[in-house]
Parts: sequence; structure tokens; C-alpha cells
Amino acid sequence: MSEPVLSACGLTKSFLSGDRRIEVLRGIDLEVVAGESVSIRGESGSGKSTLLNLLSGLDTPETGTLAWAGAPAQGGRRAEFLGMVFQSFYLIPEIDAFQNVLMAARMRKVPGQAERARALEMIARVGLTERARHLPGQMSGGERQRVAVARALMNSPRLLLADEPTGNLDEHTGDAVIELLLGLCRETQTALVLVTHNAAYAQKTNRQLFLREGKLSHG
Amino acid sequence: MPWYLYLALKQLFPTGRRFPFFTAISILGVALGVAVLVISTSVMGGFGHEIRRWTVETTGDVQVRADDGAINNPAEFLAQLTKIPGVVAATPFAEGYVMLEHGLKPAFPVVQGIDVDRVSGVIPLEHYIHYGSLADLDDDSIILSVQLAMAVGARVGDKVEIHTPLEYEKFKNDEVLVPRELRVTGIFEIGHPALDSSLVLVTLRTMQDLYGRRGSVDGFNLKISPGLDADTAAARINAALPPALHGHARSWMEINHDLIFIIQLEQNMIFFLLTFIIIVAAFSVTSSLLISVVRKTREIGLLGALGGQPRQVAACFCFQGFIIGLGGTIAGFGLGFTVLHFRNGIIYLFTRLTQSEAALARFYQFKELPRYSDPSYMIAIVVCTIVICTLAGLLPAWGAARLKPVEALRSE
Ligand SMILES: Nc1ncnc2c1ncn2[C@@H]1O[C@H](COP(=O)(O)OP(=O)(O)OP(=O)(O)O)[C@@H](O)[C@H]1O
Ligand SMILES: [Mg+2]
Repeated sequence: MSEPVLSACGLTKSFLSGDRRIEVLRGIDLEVVAGESVSIRGESGSGKSTLLNLLSGLDTPETGTLAWAGAPAQGGRRAEFLGMVFQSFYLIPEIDAFQNVLMAARMRKVPGQAERARALEMIARVGLTERARHLPGQMSGGERQRVAVARALMNSPRLLLADEPTGNLDEHTGDAVIELLLGLCRETQTALVLVTHNAAYAQKTNRQLFLREGKLSHG
Repeated sequence: MPWYLYLALKQLFPTGRRFPFFTAISILGVALGVAVLVISTSVMGGFGHEIRRWTVETTGDVQVRADDGAINNPAEFLAQLTKIPGVVAATPFAEGYVMLEHGLKPAFPVVQGIDVDRVSGVIPLEHYIHYGSLADLDDDSIILSVQLAMAVGARVGDKVEIHTPLEYEKFKNDEVLVPRELRVTGIFEIGHPALDSSLVLVTLRTMQDLYGRRGSVDGFNLKISPGLDADTAAARINAALPPALHGHARSWMEINHDLIFIIQLEQNMIFFLLTFIIIVAAFSVTSSLLISVVRKTREIGLLGALGGQPRQVAACFCFQGFIIGLGGTIAGFGLGFTVLHFRNGIIYLFTRLTQSEAALARFYQFKELPRYSDPSYMIAIVVCTIVICTLAGLLPAWGAARLKPVEALRSE
């Protein structure tokens, strides 16, 4: 078996609410290998988003260790190592779909011909070639989320973290986005951690996990 | 282009939007401040330049006078002066007050006796003589300044009578009063109301006659070689003049020291005060950018999620301030120079509307608004504006950099 793309060990996180400390995550162990897809379900407020923020390195755990492809997670590696998709699409409204996708590459270096070609290819992969020059404001929710997916995969990350990517979409559009996500990840051997409330979507992943009382469990 | 600069430009000039309102207003605000600065420092600079022009062109670069009144040996003095390196030409003058009468209208001008052969080497007098000519000036003629000629109604060819204090002496001795009659051979206009209304020119000999001076002069006006600083030249002349001559040289700057000082002070004060216009404009840039940071909180969080560093996020907002400063500077200079170009038309309209033409000429001693855009002021305006506007982006930038991506993404 290959080295895990993501390996988290004993992650804990708590928040102060007033003078009470809420223990949101109480020791998370998780390993994901290349090409694997993992779904995480859990009640609202169970800490799924908090967990993804730890896995992405945007937030720091109180205890525990996190490794990306075997090396300690560092903010500087984030752009090349992982991509993220959120419930809200977070596209930059001033620039068109193509430039939004290219932005992911721009964060790493000044984009050249290769990056532009790659961005166009990603746009094509999510089926938006016709819409490449449209501003986010001119697109539907589903189209915007597809742009966000293309952006997340632009840098060919090893890991994709998706936090309720269908939360703002209708069922039909949601299905399409999930199919797209799973398909692209399988194709490119990108590891996927998908947070969702939808059991049907969860079933499509290799492994289904639940977050309960701060711990991950199977089934 | 690094992403944060790209994004800064795109936030100011979004794709597909012809007229980005926020950007246009911000740039316009700064531009107005810059234009006002450019216009006022240029006009103030113009005053300074005019003063230089009319002093240098009426008294030369350097003026030499005797420590104690008149110079009784002008030929020797002149020979000594012209020997000094850096002195290109020198011309003697003698001056005094007279009463001039034409018809029944009197005037009390300063009369200056000039050496017709030498004066042109120092002062471009012919240039200012609009009627008649300098060459026609002989011992029985006079050149009037334009305002004075108008006031007494004299034209070229007319005769005017000159009364001098000498007549008073004669009167005391019971001699007959015979005013000197001179023919007007020219009328000059220098462009400075005080000079144009109170100066008349005669030959040196006539002046000496009028005052009974027997060959003495009051001093010399000097032209110095181009490129030589007038103050340096004056110092050099003072060092070189034999002490026995009792001469003292002063540069045009020294002679007009108070005026130049006041103009300079005013120019600096105006610059200082008007810079506040730009600071006020910069405050509005700050508040707009702050609003934009708040509005874009989630996007800024996303930039972090995409791998952006806080200092890059900060640079993105600082750069927006910089661009507004740059745009404002360019637009402001364009506007300022356009107004300066049409300044006389504008002033004319203004004075026509307010009927204050005469007041303008009287108070400011100018008929036309002068203009000199001192490069050092222009550079100061550019630098100040861009620095102030970039600083205006600092607070929003700091706010944006402080946002934690996790919290920014959570915010509703
Ligand atoms: N910055 C914070 N400060 C205080 N409490 C927080 C903070 N972030 C999260 N929490 C708390 O942590 C718990 C988990 O939040 P989280 O957003 O991870 O839940 P979630 O599982 O993603 O919920 P949902 O399904 O509704 O998105 C919640 O009770 C929330 O109130
Ligand atoms: Mg959540």
C-alpha cells in the first residue's frame, strides 16, 4: 500500500463559548491514500467544517499531528498540495470564470502559457467552455460551483477537501457536481474528503465515516 | 504580475465594467487635490519668475552702487568693473524724481538716465519699447512708460516739460524758472504696473543736467556671463573692486530679497496647506477600501485557503491605494496643466463676471497670470500624492491581513 496522502493523528480542537469550553474534536485519526474518496457525515454542529479546516492547515489543532504526503503540513505547501471546495462558491466577482480558475495557479507563480492552457482544460472538464469569459454574477449556482471545482483541481492537488459542496444547490445540480467531483478525482488519482449530509452521495465514496461526539467512526 | 497586484487591479477595474464607480470617484478626488496643488504652486512660481524677469531685465543681474551716494569717476569705475571676469557688460545709470507735465496734467515719475550705447548690452530695453525706438533717444528727448504716457496723454512726438528740484534751488536765488522741454521718442511697457506707471528714461547726460550732477552716476547695472550665479558674481565683484572705489555689488536676489522670501514662503505654505486636500481625499480612499475589505471578507478568507499569505493580501490593498494615487496624480496633472494653459481666458472670464480686472492688476501687479511649474514642486506633488495614497491603503490592508481565513470563511 502506498504512503498516505493525508495522515492525521489524535487531532483535538475546542472553542471557548462564553466561559464554557466546547470540545468539538476529541482525537481524530484519519488516513487517506491516493485515489481514495472518503465521506464524512454528522449532525450540524458536530465539527465537520472544523475538522476540514484542520486538515487543510487553515486552522491549527490543539494536540495531534498532521502530515501531508508524509511531511508535516505547512501553510506554504497548501496551494500545491490541496484544493478546497466549499458550500459557498467564493468566486472572485470581478474576474471571469477562466481567471478565477487561473487564480489558483497565480497564487503559486506568474501564470504562463502552460497554466493558461491548463485552466482552459479544467474549464472544459467541468463543461463550461462556453462560459469561460463570463463573470460569476452571470452564472447559475451549479455553474459557479463547477468553476470552484475546476479551480480546486487547477494545480493538480494530491488532496481535495469538499465541505458540503452541494449545500447551496438543488438536487439535480448537486448530483451533477458530485458526479463531476468523484469522476475527476478518480481520473486524476486525487484523494477526496467529502463532507455531506446526503447519504446517497456518501454511498458513492470508497469509505463512509461519521463524526460523532468529536470522534470519527465507521458506519 | 503577482496575484495580489493582479487582483488589486481587477478590484479597481473589474472585467467587463466600463465605468468602475468607486475607482473613478476615488481617482477624481485625488486628482482634484493634485490639480489645485499644481495650479497654485505653478502660479506662485510664476510670480517668482516674473519678479526675476522684471528685475533682471530692468536692473541687470547685479547692480553696483557706491557706498556713499554718487560715483564721481564713472569712467574709471566702469573700466575696473569690466576687467572682472564674469562681467559681460556694464551700463551706468543715474536716477531721481522729477515732475513731468504735459498739457496741464502732471506726473511725478522716477527719471532714470541711461547710457544709450551701453544699456542694450545689459537690459533688453528695445524689447519693451512699443512705440518709437531707443536709438532715437538723444539729449533732448525722453522715453515714457505706457501708463504714465496714458495718464498725461502724451504720444510719441509730443513735448513734455520736466521740473526738477534744481529749479527750486534756482527759484531761491531769484533766477527765472525755465522747465526743460523734452520730446517723447518712445513708450515702453515692461508688464509690471509699478514700473509701467512711474518710470521715464532719458540719456545720462540729460539726467545729469536736470540734477546738476556734473558727470556723476548712481551706479552700474551689470550683465554676468550665463550660467554664473548672480550671488556668486556679486561676491566676486565685491572682492575684486579696488577699495578706493567704495563700490558695493548686490545681486538681483539680494536686492529683492524680501519679496523673494515672501513668495517662497507663500509657495511653501500653499503647498503645505493644499496637501491637506490630498490627505482628505486619501481618507475617503481609506474608508472606501475599508468597506471593500468588510464586503470581501469571505473572498479574503478564500485567498488564504488558496494559499495566499497575509502580507500578500495586505499588498493587494496597499497597491489599490497606490494605483488610485498614481491615477489621481496623472489625471490631476492633466487637469492642472489644462487649466494653466487656459488660465488667462479663465481669469479674464472671472474678472469680467466679477468686474475686478483693475483690482487684479493693482493687487498682483500683473495683467496676465504668470506661470512657472517648478520641477522640484512638481516632483514633490507626485511623491507626496503617491505616498499619501499608498498609506491610505495601509489601514485596510492591515485589516485584511489580520483576517484569519477560517473566521473569514465562516463569516456570514
Ligand atoms: N470560531 C469558533 N468559535 C466558537 N465556536 C466555534 C467556532 N467554530 C466552530 N465553533 C463551534 O464548533 C462546533 C462545530 O462547528 P462546525 O462548523 O465545525 O460544525 P459543522 O459540523 O460543520 O456543522 P454544519 O453541518 O452545520 O456545517 C459548533 O458548535 C460551533 O458553534
Ligand atoms: Mg459546516
